[in-house]
Amino acid sequence: MAYALPLLLADDPPTLAPDPAAEVEAELVAQLQLGNEAAFRTLVERYQDRIYRLTLSLLRSPEEAEDVAQEVFVEVYQTIGRFRGEAALSTWLYRLATSRALKNLRRARAKKRFAYFTSLLGFGNDVLHEVPHHAHPLALLEGQQQLGLLLHHIARLPEPQQVAFTLRHEQELRYEEIAAVLNTTVPAVESLLFRARKTLRKHLQPHFRHV
Amino acid sequence: MSDSTVRSEADEAWDDLLRQLRSQPKARPRPFFYGRVHARLTAPAARPTLLAWLRRPAYAALLAALVLSLSGDGSGLRPDAAVTARGAASDYPPPR
Repeated sequence: MAYALPLLLADDPPTLAPDPAAEVEAELVAQLQLGNEAAFRTLVERYQDRIYRLTLSLLRSPEEAEDVAQEVFVEVYQTIGRFRGEAALSTWLYRLATSRALKNLRRARAKKRFAYFTSLLGFGNDVLHEVPHHAHPLALLEGQQQLGLLLHHIARLPEPQQVAFTLRHEQELRYEEIAAVLNTTVPAVESLLFRARKTLRKHLQPHFRHV
Repeated sequence: MSDSTVRSEADEAWDDLLRQLRSQPKARPRPFFYGRVHARLTAPAARPTLLAWLRRPAYAALLAALVLSLSGDGSGLRPDAAVTARGAASDYPPPR
């Protein structure tokens, strides 16, 4: 009985088909590293929506989200020379955006604590230090109270859980991509998501029964 | 209603909520985003100065309080001279 030889046993060594997307990205990075402004424009236009959505999900303020998104691209322009391509360009961008957004969140929380402290001392700088609490634009829509509640509790999750949950359920990234952004393993991402879902469901459970 | 029914309803509600979260209209930055990024790249970087910090009333008030507490002659920290003298005298027996 004759069997057709599988391709791997053929005389020619197997060659991996080049990934066109990876080639395009490598070319874009090369152009960026040469300081090509058109390449930078291409990069911004290609990723601006995704980066803005991520920062908006984490910061819940369109103004702050845009500010951080701009900072991300400025940082890319200034540090692209150090990009060695160990991670995908999109992973690097998500990483920068996440780290900057979390930094902003921490600063806002510190300001809030400082405002509380100064108000206790009677300095009366509430107007100066009061950090506005932005309702998520999505939560403002009528009939979306539950969604608003969910977003409220997402914002109160520990940072790694918040980022993992946002990347998975709002940005719809795969587990491997989330692991790359968070510089961790897939099981660690699974664990973060499990804990995040458990906490969120615990908070939202009473509301489900009244649907 | 059994526990399993409640749980399955809750599961359904949770899945529905996640679907809602995913199916929200996709937000986008305002038009001419690239122009603003470019402007930011070409603008000179502003450096925060000490004077900028002093413009904040809370910091200014804290600094003033600190300066006042340190710049006094320290009389508030020293014990009263008369009390000290009386205390010192009582340490020795009265002269004959």
